[in-house]
Amino acid sequence: MKNPIHPAAASSQAFQIAEIRPIERLFEDDEGRDRLEKALSRYPEKRAALLPMLGYAQERNGWVSDESMEQIAGALDLTPAYVRSVATFYTMYNKHPVGRHFIQVCTCISCHLHEADEVFERFLAETGTRAGEVSEDGKYTVIEAECLGACGFATAVQVNDRYFENVTPDQIPAILDELD
Amino acid sequence: MSDATNYVTLTIDAVEVKVEAGTTVLQAAEHAGIVVPHYCYHPGIPSRPAQCRMCLVEIEGQPKLQPSCVFPAQDGMVVYTTSETAETARKSVIEFLLLNHPLDCPICDAAGQCMLQDYAFETGQLRSRYAEAKLVLGRDRVADDILYFGDRCIVCTRCVRFMEELAGDNALVVAQRGHKAYIDTFPGKDLDNAFRGNIVDVCPVGALVHEDFVFKARAWDMDSSPGICPGCSTGCNIDINVKENQIVRTKPRLNPDVNSYWMCDHGRRHLVMANRGVRAEAPLIRVDGELEPASWNEALTWIAGRLEAGDGAAVVSGGAANESLFYMRGLLSELGIDGGTFRVLQGEEITLPGFPKLKLRADRAPNVTGAELHGFKRSDELADVPDGGVLIVLGDALADAPADYGANAGFFLCVGSHLYPAMVNATAILPMTSVLEMEGTFVNYEGRVQRFHQALRAPGVARPAWMSLSRLLEHRGVGEGVLDARAAFQTMAAGTTGMDNLSWSGLGLRGELLSEAGQPAVAVE
Amino acid sequence: MGYPYSHDLEVNTLLSRHFGDEKARTLEGWKELGGYATLPRALEMEPGAITEVVKESGLRGRGGAGFPTGVKWSFMPQEPTGPHYLCCNADESEPGAFKDREILRWVPHLLIEGCLIAARAIRAEHVYIYVRGEFFPFSRIVTDAVVEAYEAGYVGENILGSGWNCDVTVHIGAGAYIAGEETGLMSSLMGGRAEPWIKPPFPAQAGVFGRPTTVNNVETLAAVPMIVAEGADWYRQWGTEKSPGTKLWCCSGHLVRPGTYELPMGIALKDVIYDVCGGAPNGKKIKAVIPGGSSTAMLTADELDCEGTYEGMAEAGSALGTASPIVMDEDTNIVRAMRRIAQFYAHESCGQCVQCREGTSWTAQLLHRIERGEGSLSDIDTLYHLCEQMTGRTICPLADSVVFPLRSSLDKFRDEYEALIRC
Repeated sequence: MKNPIHPAAASSQAFQIAEIRPIERLFEDDEGRDRLEKALSRYPEKRAALLPMLGYAQERNGWVSDESMEQIAGALDLTPAYVRSVATFYTMYNKHPVGRHFIQVCTCISCHLHEADEVFERFLAETGTRAGEVSEDGKYTVIEAECLGACGFATAVQVNDRYFENVTPDQIPAILDELD
Repeated sequence: MSDATNYVTLTIDAVEVKVEAGTTVLQAAEHAGIVVPHYCYHPGIPSRPAQCRMCLVEIEGQPKLQPSCVFPAQDGMVVYTTSETAETARKSVIEFLLLNHPLDCPICDAAGQCMLQDYAFETGQLRSRYAEAKLVLGRDRVADDILYFGDRCIVCTRCVRFMEELAGDNALVVAQRGHKAYIDTFPGKDLDNAFRGNIVDVCPVGALVHEDFVFKARAWDMDSSPGICPGCSTGCNIDINVKENQIVRTKPRLNPDVNSYWMCDHGRRHLVMANRGVRAEAPLIRVDGELEPASWNEALTWIAGRLEAGDGAAVVSGGAANESLFYMRGLLSELGIDGGTFRVLQGEEITLPGFPKLKLRADRAPNVTGAELHGFKRSDELADVPDGGVLIVLGDALADAPADYGANAGFFLCVGSHLYPAMVNATAILPMTSVLEMEGTFVNYEGRVQRFHQALRAPGVARPAWMSLSRLLEHRGVGEGVLDARAAFQTMAAGTTGMDNLSWSGLGLRGELLSEAGQPAVAVE
Repeated sequence: MGYPYSHDLEVNTLLSRHFGDEKARTLEGWKELGGYATLPRALEMEPGAITEVVKESGLRGRGGAGFPTGVKWSFMPQEPTGPHYLCCNADESEPGAFKDREILRWVPHLLIEGCLIAARAIRAEHVYIYVRGEFFPFSRIVTDAVVEAYEAGYVGENILGSGWNCDVTVHIGAGAYIAGEETGLMSSLMGGRAEPWIKPPFPAQAGVFGRPTTVNNVETLAAVPMIVAEGADWYRQWGTEKSPGTKLWCCSGHLVRPGTYELPMGIALKDVIYDVCGGAPNGKKIKAVIPGGSSTAMLTADELDCEGTYEGMAEAGSALGTASPIVMDEDTNIVRAMRRIAQFYAHESCGQCVQCREGTSWTAQLLHRIERGEGSLSDIDTLYHLCEQMTGRTICPLADSVVFPLRSSLDKFRDEYEALIRC
């Protein structure tokens, strides 16, 4: 179990991280129970802990599987269908496994004006993948992202929970090196 | 509502209309006979997401068009539902909805009864300006008997909200978002709710369809009759859709006092099953030890001449119409036979949480209250038949009777619609129409007398039991045979405790409660 | 100082003074810089008095709509019958906007202090800081600050011995622009799809968890401590009568010095772009500017001499929005840029309203076709028609948001569309 977190922090843990710690049953160990309990303590309604728990599932497993959704539904007295409805609304919950380095290239307007499309293509070329697929070595998945909110630092790239800013196509090999 | 009810007066399309405060503009328009087109709004579903944007109307003083399904009617308000802006907006919604629609009306179950087709027809756009490739979602299963055609779906979410708000089972949801949104269940968890069939009814287009109805009939090929579901003692008001004298579909018919807009799936299946079985098609009388066909006159004369007062037993069905039970009682009295029993199949009671008055009730028969009102007693067992006595059976009470039942009777008259093994012991069989093939009334669990209409043609020369029994009495010199349901009802009402307040025309399509004297003893929820 | 650049025209109030200074992130450092000095004063004030100061200051919502903050607070019930909530909208996702993230990452305690003072004013017992999911590094900073503030007694029970309790929770989203719309935010916070709902009920009547709620933007709340500390008149030394104070401008696109700058309200847009940000790089001319974030109308290079206030930008035919000019130089393909913007809205539509669900996607596809040289002149009419039918027809303004840049691009750069169609 990681160091216990403060209840105020239970709903804001980064859930797209490289070091996943896969677990089958989300709420059957101390850490899972602790996270659930702390998240629940912050809201008057159980349902509000749904996003934090979807995040927890992804933080542990790297993605949110149907099994995770069912477990979360059980923990929060929701139907699995409802959990899936919410999980599929938000783009950041991976409904399939992704590479260890999940690379999101912002190609929205401000980055678009700064070679974002080229940055994106270059990432695909360097990782040898097509958009959204996992590279053969399991290391990379590259996708196009909508605005990452770093418009003044175009092109913005998010790799897991890190931001890379002012990225130009020629920096990409170095970025990939740094990730490894 | 108390006397303190506040009313507001507003003008909709130059029609002045006075409604209770709190009424929405859309409902107020309905009062004025103006239908504001809409999709996501459904009067039976509590939530009003106002998301289809079809019911936008122009309201003086409002800078934007407003969704009439949620906008409250206010005093002095002036509303235009067909102003140019409102019309253009509506036309535009239709254009948007048709962008990715497959336009497969020729093979769509909803064709002819589709709100998308209707409004597209009204707005009359010949061609789409959409030159892009259509999004294809394909077809999915949401329940073992319900299919989802994603391409036809307009994501009004009526089905989702029915499941959540009425059925209390949040098993159907919108997945994804934006133009990729569609309706789905959780993988491996199809709908198994007892009321799921209603999602097909609330679907304003052909996105949700019953698998057993797919490709079976065109809307315009079906006849529809208002009926009462015989599946349990609730007596849901239904429309029975018939093609070529076969029931192809049943839909709930609005009755706010009984079933609102809904019915259960047991009722739907039950009715479609009614197409099956071996029917009694002609009167049969036992001549030289064999049951031989006879004409009605011949048979009635033959029976009237042989029936003798004395020891006897009577078995009826909780599924028989009141009028039939009334004349059955008349015949029994004439023969000096008291009592009479009926059995009721029992099943699990299932409630629709969002309209708890609607239950699939444990009594799986539509006229238990009526049978009791006419003096028949509920029993777990078939009545014992006195050796050599009279046995009269009305309705489908012998489906599971042992093959020798009634063999010991001196005279065994069976008035029934289907042929069952024990009926070989009958002295005479009078072919009866099923309740789907006749007019009549049932009394539901709370004492509501409801009329049903004829949906199917009867096989052979089967007749309603009230007709054959009243004529049999006439043949025995008692009263006159009745030839129409109204006469049967009125004769019955006049002679039955609790019914004297009722008239045939007064029942209308919503039914009437028995007077206090006739109310069933059980507490009404 | 601005970030990452600074400029003489900047006014560095508490809002931006410590941008770039890591010291400000920790409670200790922040206190050394004078932080948490206003909270004790606010705790001694009547809630109504706090609201009154903010009302007098003329502070307007910095999330884009510009609604007067004090007035918004005054909609909250004065006699609570149960919990009230404050939601801090840190779901900054408007393309072009990246100002709130600077507050989140450099001065988290300023935001917390602002949240607490606002919570006090509206009698809220819990503050939810809803940070967009992508902002992991920044939500982590805010979260650490909240935990520190709990430990030091600034947040939680009996705050600074006042007897007043207020919790703060950092709650992160997961990728949905529409969670930045206030009802969408509340839907999301309650564990739902971030679908906006039709008002009424208004948040101050029945917001999150069905209780009276106020939703305020990060920059709005971060401005509160200094307003309460220094007074309304002090704040009004900048800006105009109707748009007082200072404003964070975040400038992106083709600029020599893109970044976030705190500037007095009323500064001319051209000064922001040419003077503060140095104009377009490489001596290029500017073709167009979308001044207030992607959902505002485009202005041409000739239209930039307008006052940077809510009123001034409206007069110029656009909107101040989040004060996030996106600058496009002379080489920019307007149709392509517009297509990229439309693609964003198509991706982010929640899908409830038909006009938005279908219209945003159609718009993006149509623009893509024109961009590929496969368009026809009638497509331009169709785009105008879409503009008309996507304006004021939906529950929330997302559909309207694509119309503003689209219609203005059609009006002002029709020749570019036609050139692509005719080629």
